[in-house]
Amino acid sequence: MKAVGICGSDVHYYKHMRLADFIVKEPMVIGHECAGVVEEIGNEVTHLAVGDNVALEPGVSCAHCSHCKEGRYNLCDEMKFFATPPIHGSLANFVVHPASLCFKLPENVSLEEGAMCEPLSVGVHACRRAGAGPHTKVLVMGSGPIGLVTLMAAKAFGSPRVVVVDVDENRLKMAQELGAHEVVCVSTRIEDVEKEVLEIQQKMAADVDITFDCAGLEKTMRTALKATRSGGEVCLVGMGHVEMKVPLTAAAAREVDILGVFRYRNTYQLCIDMISSGRINVKPLITHRFGFSQEDVVKAFNVSAMGGSAIKVMFNI
Amino acid sequence: MAEVQEGGFRAFHPSWEDPSCARNLAVWVCGVDDLRLLPYTVVPQLGMNDVRVKIKAVGICGSDVHYVKKLRNSRVAMKEPMVLGHESSGVICEVGASVTHLRVGDRVALEAGIPCNSCVLCKEGRYNLCKNVRFFGSPPTNGSLTQEVVHPASLCYKLPDNLTFEEGAMCEPLSVGVHACRRAKVEPGRRVLILGAGPIGLIVLLVSRAFGATTVHVTDIDQRRLMAAASLGAEGTLRVSSDMNDMENEVMELKQLIGVPIDVTFDCVGITKTMQTALKVTKSGGKVCLVGMGQDNLTLPLTSSAAREVDVLGIFRYCNTYPLCLDLLQSRKVDVRPLITHRYRLTEDDMKEAFQTTAMAGDAIKVMFTI
Repeated sequence: MKAVGICGSDVHYYKHMRLADFIVKEPMVIGHECAGVVEEIGNEVTHLAVGDNVALEPGVSCAHCSHCKEGRYNLCDEMKFFATPPIHGSLANFVVHPASLCFKLPENVSLEEGAMCEPLSVGVHACRRAGAGPHTKVLVMGSGPIGLVTLMAAKAFGSPRVVVVDVDENRLKMAQELGAHEVVCVSTRIEDVEKEVLEIQQKMAADVDITFDCAGLEKTMRTALKATRSGGEVCLVGMGHVEMKVPLTAAAAREVDILGVFRYRNTYQLCIDMISSGRINVKPLITHRFGFSQEDVVKAFNVSAMGGSAIKVMFNI
Repeated sequence: MAEVQEGGFRAFHPSWEDPSCARNLAVWVCGVDDLRLLPYTVVPQLGMNDVRVKIKAVGICGSDVHYVKKLRNSRVAMKEPMVLGHESSGVICEVGASVTHLRVGDRVALEAGIPCNSCVLCKEGRYNLCKNVRFFGSPPTNGSLTQEVVHPASLCYKLPDNLTFEEGAMCEPLSVGVHACRRAKVEPGRRVLILGAGPIGLIVLLVSRAFGATTVHVTDIDQRRLMAAASLGAEGTLRVSSDMNDMENEVMELKQLIGVPIDVTFDCVGITKTMQTALKVTKSGGKVCLVGMGQDNLTLPLTSSAAREVDVLGIFRYCNTYPLCLDLLQSRKVDVRPLITHRYRLTEDDMKEAFQTTAMAGDAIKVMFTI
């Protein structure tokens, strides 16, 4: 293992020992956004060789349930996913993993970029589900790591205009650097929804076809549903609040569909190709780097937990 | 004669005093629970692409009743008296100069909404979402519970010989079911669950079966409605309560009853309890289709269902459904005749009783006026 990024869910397990229905019942190895060098291959492995740099797709699905057979393996009930209890993660020196989930990195894609394929996959999967393309004008709520990869994926998919909103001016600056056409600084107050919807629509200067809610809060969902055009889509990517309530009037009266996103499927090769061709540049997202010592690990998690200017914290092992 | 009531509601319409309208009676809602049979506008000169239709059958629905009780729905309020009704069929008695596909004497079903045909939504074919649609019986557009209307020829569909006027009128609510099943992609292999066995739930049941769903199960709080569902082909039914505390148990019971993952759940009631049930009971990667409008400002926790990629699709009216409805009816893939439970004529007494019957629900499914 050479490069491992930390994600909000890793921090959540660290702080709360659980995430939704997944409970950490005994000590667990953390981390799932990873890339490394192949050290040994099994007898039947033909597409990889010792010494290959690979990005690892974290989730091992069962391959025989109907979700898997239909290609929606991210929904597999028997999914074994790095650092989702009870499955140990990959923030380690070595792991053993199915070769079919290890994707060879071309010369011009670094191990850190390989690790970034994991969060990038979330943005790519969301864009696919929502049908982002040259004909869709996109609104991204939340300019954290997930909002930013979704912004990048939307642009890579050809979206001609992407507006990003957040409460944090610094995060919005990052969004602009990464290619957001417009940004809007919003508040945390629910009373401001109407006003902010108008601002967003003005900045978009067109109808909003798809809104990605990458924060997943009551306010962001309300804004998303009001801002999106009739017949458009709201894609809930963030996992802000489990009990967050969403008003369904827009869905019922204007056919604004609400799509859920859970992790990703069939995205790794596409992510690697887009990074390799330069269509997507994930390097600016890596804001902090740490080594693999007790001290560094604790510091890294605290930096990640603080958010703010920390987007992606990366371990170099 | 203009009485201005509270909230700027003017309880008068010029048709009532216009002698040229006297021959065309309509059912007007003039105030809360104030239904009157009065004259209605007769358009003297047909537009080139319009037809004049002698109305023969009009069904009424919960939304019509809602206007009688509240003078509004969740989005729009009446500012003056309005003619009710939007589920209609009739006979062509005059055609506009450019109309070629219809002739005098043709029996037609009328599609209720006239879209603008020039906005992006119209041009993309989702004309049900047109912001400027004029829809029968939706303020400020008068409805079709009357003897004569003028309507665009392109929204009048010729009835096959083996269908009655009543079946033609039923194309309107049937369209809601067709649109819902299309959006939710009901097809062979799908396991469907329908919450609510009222007129819309029963129509969605009929259409789901016509679209080839492998099984369709239905829930309701009313045993009589469940019996109707069973007689119309539901594989199984479950009686549920209106108590939110029962939801978890009901979800388990439903999963046991159906035995396999549920691909699509249609909420044909549209209240918190039914939507919550739908979101919990539908399989990962499945769809919940919100068809009913039972509650204004329906607000629900979505995180746990979104995290299973259970999508929520809303249904607003319908688009491009009439030809398919007529095909389904003509070929008897769908038979709506059992849904018509009560019939009335265009008289003062019948009018009042018709709306009372619809409002009370019970064993009334579709109430139909014969004009």
